[in-house]
Amino acid sequence: MAEISIDALGEACPIPLLKIQKKWPDLKTGDVLIINIDHSCALKNIPEWARKEGHNVEVEEVEEGVWDIYIEKTA
Amino acid sequence: MSETPTTTLIKRRTQAPVKKKSQIGLTVAAVLVIVAIGYYLSTLKVLASIIWFIGIALGVVLQKSRFCFTASLRDPILTGSTSLTRATIIAFAVATVGFAALQFTTILKGGPIIGNVKPVGFHTVIGAVMFGIGMVISGGCASGTLMRMGEGFVMQWITLITFIVGSVIAAMQYGWWDEHFFSVSPKIFLPQTFGWAGGFFGQLAVLALLYVFATWYEYRKVKN
Amino acid sequence: MTTRAFQELQSLKQIVIKDAWPYSVGAVMLGLLNIVIFIYFASPWGVTTAFVFWGAWIYQLFGGHPETWSFFTLQPAMMESLKAGILVHSESIADIGLVVGAFLAAAAAAQFRIKKIKSARQVVGALSGGLLMGYGARLALGCNIGAYFSGIASMAANGWVFGICIFFGAYIGSKILVKYLM
Repeated sequence: MAEISIDALGEACPIPLLKIQKKWPDLKTGDVLIINIDHSCALKNIPEWARKEGHNVEVEEVEEGVWDIYIEKTA
Repeated sequence: MSETPTTTLIKRRTQAPVKKKSQIGLTVAAVLVIVAIGYYLSTLKVLASIIWFIGIALGVVLQKSRFCFTASLRDPILTGSTSLTRATIIAFAVATVGFAALQFTTILKGGPIIGNVKPVGFHTVIGAVMFGIGMVISGGCASGTLMRMGEGFVMQWITLITFIVGSVIAAMQYGWWDEHFFSVSPKIFLPQTFGWAGGFFGQLAVLALLYVFATWYEYRKVKN
Repeated sequence: MTTRAFQELQSLKQIVIKDAWPYSVGAVMLGLLNIVIFIYFASPWGVTTAFVFWGAWIYQLFGGHPETWSFFTLQPAMMESLKAGILVHSESIADIGLVVGAFLAAAAAAQFRIKKIKSARQVVGALSGGLLMGYGARLALGCNIGAYFSGIASMAANGWVFGICIFFGAYIGSKILVKYLM
């Protein structure tokens, strides 16, 4: 399955999630999207959106204030 | 135990995460500065010290809960999420109860209507629309801008500059706005219009209905 | 026995200091803090009136005379606060405290990080957004806190009107954001 990366470092609030939502239709079931962010709002609203849609989410803090969010498309 | 692709990806990660240092130095420094300023202010005026610590608390609460008024108003349309919207409704409800008690007891003792009951009119409409546009394009409202300044976002420090400039220009033009709008617009205190029961319970009821609506709105398309 | 207690404290530290708090927790706390402010300071939480003062005091530093602005000449209480200075100006103190508090919370969770500007578009958004908010808040006689949060909590019509209109403003802002600033 494919792995798609988005770099959203330095992007303000809604933009990381919007980028994900834009790319999302292109993903097939089983694909994993990885987004790199440093915005604390996005850290909350991205997993919230992904879980609401029923996908698997994992968050990893790679550095102080920088996170990678992994979302696996389940359906 | 099955492993999701995501966990395998994390394990396979070639770039090892930077060993997380704790920021204990910064934290301790912050605490010392906070206490020092708090103490200093108390020597000038006790209330100054109290509001300082309240301000600190506001910053902590906003940052820790990632509270964002901008998102509460923007996300329902932009991303379909109303979780923050619902949170603001809770905040409004809690504050309404406390405020109403203060207002009621003050009026009962023969005092005036206290609280932010301001003249409402066209100026409110334009001002709020301008504010709404501004907060979304800059990435934060008033409290959000301050919070993000503390979190280290350089963008919000820049926003503050024109935020001050805009406020100053408007303050210079205050006279014009006052003459044509503020002084000739009504201050509407809902319990005066609807009675205390109508105003107070009515407002709480409206907030409750908005909460239910917002919940339905977020989950209406989600399959079980 | 002691290791179990230590574990408890560790998980408490994780929940309170490290992890994000639920929105609802923040909401209740903000509601309560606003009430506390109202009790002690005779008027509710507000953020942006202080910005007029900051501009005025900076202007004064450069030799200007902000006391001639109608904002102060027409509002005696404001004029008094202007003359009393920042060290006893409640709203200014609260605003600065907010910045420091947010810093403290981030640093305590080891999540503080300077986030530099990424593009010119962001600067345009920040500068124009700030200007709109500054002027707009003065017109509406408050911002998302003073007019919206505190206004509605005060059962004032201007709070509700502000709320409806800021929502439309946010809608317009979103369209601009997606089209030009993304």
